[in-house]
Amino acid sequence: MSTRLRTSLLLAPATAWLLAMLVLPLVVVAVFSFGERAAAGGYSAAFTLENFANLGARWAAFKNTLMLAPAGTLMCLIIAYPLAYYLAVKVDPKWRTLLLILVIVPFWTSILIRSYAWIYLLGGQGIPKLISTLGFGNPRLINTPFAVLIGITYGYLPLMVFPIYVSLERLDKRLLEASADLGSPPWRSFLQVTLPLSTPGVATGCMLVFILLMGEFLIPAMLGGGKVFFVGNALVDLFLQSRNWPYGAAVAVALVVIMLVTVTAYMRFTRRWAGGRDDVSLM
Amino acid sequence: MRFYAIAVYLFLYIPIGVIAVFSFNAGRYAAQLQGFSTQWYGKALSNPFVMEALQTSATVAAMSATLATVAGTLAALALQGVTGKPRMIFDALLYVAVMVPGIVIGISTLIALVTLFDWLNPMIAALWPVAENAPKLQMGKGSLIAAHGMFTMALVVIIVRARVAGMDRSLMEASADLGATPFGTFRQVTLPQIFPAILAGFLLAFTFSFDDFIIAFFVAGSETTLPIYVFSSIRRGVTPEINAIGTMVLAASLLILIIAQSILQRDRRAKTG
Amino acid sequence: MTNRNDFISREKFMAELYRYKKGSVTRRYFLGVTGLGAATAVLGSAMPGLQSAAWAQANIGDRVVLATWPNYHDPANFEAFTAATGAAVDVNVFGSNEEMLAKLQAGGSGWDVFVPTNYTITTYVGEDLIEPLDLSKIANYDAASYNQRFAGPGTVDGTVYAVPKNWGTTGFAVNTAQLGSNPKPTTWKEFWDMTMADFSGRTMVHDYQLTTIGNALKYFGYSFNSVDTAELAEAEKLLIDAKPHLFAINSDYQPSMRSGDAWMTICWTGDGKQMNRDMPEIEYVLGKEGGELWSDFYAIPKGAPHMDAAYALINFLLDPAVNAKESLFHGYPTADARVDALLPAEVLNDPILYPAQELLDALEFGAAVTLTDPNRAELMARFKSA
Repeated sequence: MSTRLRTSLLLAPATAWLLAMLVLPLVVVAVFSFGERAAAGGYSAAFTLENFANLGARWAAFKNTLMLAPAGTLMCLIIAYPLAYYLAVKVDPKWRTLLLILVIVPFWTSILIRSYAWIYLLGGQGIPKLISTLGFGNPRLINTPFAVLIGITYGYLPLMVFPIYVSLERLDKRLLEASADLGSPPWRSFLQVTLPLSTPGVATGCMLVFILLMGEFLIPAMLGGGKVFFVGNALVDLFLQSRNWPYGAAVAVALVVIMLVTVTAYMRFTRRWAGGRDDVSLM
Repeated sequence: MRFYAIAVYLFLYIPIGVIAVFSFNAGRYAAQLQGFSTQWYGKALSNPFVMEALQTSATVAAMSATLATVAGTLAALALQGVTGKPRMIFDALLYVAVMVPGIVIGISTLIALVTLFDWLNPMIAALWPVAENAPKLQMGKGSLIAAHGMFTMALVVIIVRARVAGMDRSLMEASADLGATPFGTFRQVTLPQIFPAILAGFLLAFTFSFDDFIIAFFVAGSETTLPIYVFSSIRRGVTPEINAIGTMVLAASLLILIIAQSILQRDRRAKTG
Repeated sequence: MTNRNDFISREKFMAELYRYKKGSVTRRYFLGVTGLGAATAVLGSAMPGLQSAAWAQANIGDRVVLATWPNYHDPANFEAFTAATGAAVDVNVFGSNEEMLAKLQAGGSGWDVFVPTNYTITTYVGEDLIEPLDLSKIANYDAASYNQRFAGPGTVDGTVYAVPKNWGTTGFAVNTAQLGSNPKPTTWKEFWDMTMADFSGRTMVHDYQLTTIGNALKYFGYSFNSVDTAELAEAEKLLIDAKPHLFAINSDYQPSMRSGDAWMTICWTGDGKQMNRDMPEIEYVLGKEGGELWSDFYAIPKGAPHMDAAYALINFLLDPAVNAKESLFHGYPTADARVDALLPAEVLNDPILYPAQELLDALEFGAAVTLTDPNRAELMARFKSA
């Protein structure tokens, strides 16, 4: 059997799968996005650009997503970085595995159930009651963008901790010691040695969380009270309430295009940035 | 630093603690504590819909993860020898597969398959000897396995490919020089080297499928997976039964983890000792 | 039901039924040891819904899937149905008729019974999504005892597609303990004005275009069912203005109202009754301008996987004694005179269930056009994503 034939045979199942379950559905969505809503809902064949012209009607959902997804990513990063640093550098190695496992364990309880716990915690009987008992006013937390931000940060935090931890773990501690011996203050060692080394982990974690947040539906639906809308919620609404398949298809196409553009740009940018810092740290 | 870590762990575990505490609630409403009871655990375990949803989730996860791991590993191995345009196309497909949000995969798979089935079913019925008995294609476990597997296969390819790239090639050449068949080389030399990546890919694929809600929500047809069951229970008005299910799933995964960890540690001790 | 000689205890019967279900005894053994007559007699006295022996002669399977609305059933009745027939009831809850229609249009819903509202049935018939009912399998349905005003929409072109479940009104519930200096609101105008003033952040509306848009239209005195673009534009402006002041957009508002997070909500009869029963400060109000009068039905979707169980469940729930228990639990009236005869006087005089005639006169039934009108659907979606 020739190598070429063997390679083709080995690739055949994966290629067929991707064609049938990824390319075909995306093509159908693209075709549907030029169609019209059938009288009772659904799709009827046509060629119109109206669905794309109407995308502005979902501008608020796109805006929410494009603000809260980066905000959630940033919150995850801010909370995860010190923890990953602590786990990789500071903690007694004999506790390290246990502590790492404890970061991932919440992930094994369905996100639905964990978000439900936040409905209780952020509702009037939870944290707001505690705050008002302590005499700091009576804030309303549930069904606000803030609640959604807490929910997504909570939901995706472990995905940020791990890549950063992995990149920091490879850090050679002798570098830090050398840096200290040369009289460099700790913050300077951190900026010049630790931070550059962890950029690949930060880049991976941010991308992972960002991609998942852009398609988020559940957490805004549960903690936003139907008021904080992501593109994902708009999509579910278009398919499961107003049954406007062609318009929903257009919104889906727009979301995919936005993701392709932002993620590709982001990858270019971080590659150059990380590359640049690599040179600096080598000196 | 340490206090900071403690604060983050509290943030991670307080909601889980809330779930566990309310699972022992004697009352019917999830949000009011009314005494201690384990009745909801019994209710959950004897609820046929919970058990069936669990079974559906496990079957779909096992099937999709197995198929994705096999197809993905084969592809990762084949890709070593692929360059130029075919390679670029395949990589682009993987990139898109990983990046398209789950909700778009769910919706697009739904409308593509519904349209396709609407078109195929009359044809099948026309060709079938007795039209009333003709099989009907519809959404269900099959479509769910195919949709989950597509995404997780892309993950497997990426994970295994990284390992394949770091593999010691001289061993394979030596094996071939010594007259081993390509399959023999694969089984005795390649497979042991890439096995950790395959296992990691399988576990990731299984976990993803088991926990996925949004793709299943659109693609599962009349099948109910565990996340879909939980979602509809939350809409029905939460009883502590849901908390009991969540607590049990968590306890079971912890148990498996502890067992795996202790086996690994004994293994390590045996090797070093 | 006269043959009580071969009576076996209910516990023994259940034990045998359980063994039979598990497959450890054969059907013939099961029927032999229990005796069909005895089984019917025992269950007939224990479960009034099963007086027809049809269920016992046909194996209806181990499950039935019901798609219904929030807080709309007495769980004890489902448990009784399961104990008697061996079929467990899987309850799926929906917040709008649009959502039910979307699920059925996408195919493979897996439902056996669903609960459509009066104005949607012609659309289901037109889209070929609903099964014509074989009334011989619903012995408990006695058309003559029903008020035709509420039962009528179940019949389309002379064919019965749906049998009445309950009827009711769509008003609003308000927590009077939170009113402060405000008088108790009695109109939809006051509902929306208070939402944008003292009740800011405390009001909920349904995630359901018919009632949320309809009651915004009522602010201006337009028809609840309007599809006039100019009138809808005014309603949209009101909704968008009110949105920042809403607590949530959700058709399941009881948890938030009970916990005190929300103070006022668009509300259906039975939810109003359930909340008022436990917390008298939550009162149910019908807006003076009008609003919705509705009637819900039991129906079977095309291609239901457990057809026998579907008929058995509908028949069980329509038994007057079971139906009366349902009504007492969920607080929605039925259109069945036989049920009314079983209800205590204080229920029949309850102004939440049976509002004063002048309030009822102002109400409208939903119109079929609102379900499929693209402008109303898109308006609701714009309001939610705004």
